[in-house]
Amino acid sequence: MTVQVFLLTLVFALPLGLPVALGSNSRLLPIRLFCRAFVWVFRGTPLLLQLFFFFYMLPIWFGFAMDPLPTAVITFVLNYSAYLAEIYRGGINSIDRGQYEAASCLGLSRWQTMFGIILPQTVSRILPAVANEMITLVKDTSLVYVIGVAELMKASRGAVNRDTDPTAYLVAALIYLLFTFILTKVADRVEKRFSRHEARRQ
Amino acid sequence: MAAILEMQNIVKEFGRLRALDKVSLHVEQGETVAIIGPSGSGKSTLLRSVNRLEKITSGEIRINGELMVSSPSGKAEYVSERQVRRLCSSTGMIFQHFHLFPHMTCLGNITYAPMKVKKQSQAQAEETAHRLLELVGLADKADNWPSQLSGGQQQRVAIARGLAMEPELMLFDEPTSALDPEITGEVLAVMKTLAARRMTMLVVTHEMGFAREVADRVIFMADGRIIEQGTPEQIFENPQTERLQNFLRSTLSAQKNQ
Repeated sequence: MTVQVFLLTLVFALPLGLPVALGSNSRLLPIRLFCRAFVWVFRGTPLLLQLFFFFYMLPIWFGFAMDPLPTAVITFVLNYSAYLAEIYRGGINSIDRGQYEAASCLGLSRWQTMFGIILPQTVSRILPAVANEMITLVKDTSLVYVIGVAELMKASRGAVNRDTDPTAYLVAALIYLLFTFILTKVADRVEKRFSRHEARRQ
Repeated sequence: MAAILEMQNIVKEFGRLRALDKVSLHVEQGETVAIIGPSGSGKSTLLRSVNRLEKITSGEIRINGELMVSSPSGKAEYVSERQVRRLCSSTGMIFQHFHLFPHMTCLGNITYAPMKVKKQSQAQAEETAHRLLELVGLADKADNWPSQLSGGQQQRVAIARGLAMEPELMLFDEPTSALDPEITGEVLAVMKTLAARRMTMLVVTHEMGFAREVADRVIFMADGRIIEQGTPEQIFENPQTERLQNFLRSTLSAQKNQ
């Protein structure tokens, strides 16, 4: 369950952050306000509270209930896309204005400039920050036990209570560490791939 | 001869500062025009107005006879975004700091826009790119990253990138100002080749030697106005205004001391 929440959040939040980031920079005021408000709300309240909100408040107010797992995934996706959007936006804004000017002089459209010139350059810059978020995400998945999703922490607590032996916590810690270790390696690989052009002069 | 660029009464204001004060400029096909003047004289702003990197406050600009911006009510009104982009794409620009795309090889830098904007095939774009790299003397650098090149080499790749879009007018914004003095020559040599091939060029420069040797016409700007213009002989041998005389005295003695 831990892995499932993590992977689903990753798959949906990574791309979803991008439109939010672009929207926060939009020249159209309604889009900009909407995206900034979204980021403000989801970064400005605790993830735990958001979980409670989606799990307990929605059914009370709107009369429909979801299973714990989809609720957890939706909450995580919204929360993480808000954080990622800000990382993306920072990366986009860090690109030199000259790159936009050069692209515009060559007749490239806004879209071509963003996806062909600007975004590929931001990848290597934002990757360490994104990897950070992903590691936080691994550990944040432990929060979902509050709405009854069976994840690693819950399972280890069950084991500790059952055997009256806290070794299970140690096992849990090792599993988290292994998980983040793999994640770090993957991030390194991607970072190398996207910064190969930064080779120094031979 | 046909005018490639016609600028009429261009005014550009940055807040209260008037960077361009009713400047008018015509550039004919095949002409090399050098713009000189002290920093802050508005010469870069004038150049950047040509392809709308700076939006003018009022005035009229035609490229190839086609209207890009006019001011019927006293305020600049541009034609549609599409039209402006089409007109601007008949100009190419070379920047002081090159602005190559760092995540693409030299070849990628040169082929990207022809493939995306002109819908050329990759083979076609690469063939042109190799020919242009040869022209600027960097045939062996096609697969290098920009970060592996010297400033002079990067600027030559930028020139090739600009030429790949087959512009009718090349704009150079202080193309050698960011380079070490000993390698400005290689960039100037490429520009001379282009001038000899009758490429139409508008060059903002501090290189008095280049202006004197290569330009058909030299324009001296100060305080957002064109103070004097004429052939290189008229400007350098027989300056009429005191502003130009002072400017020439100070720059030429400074360049001699280098």
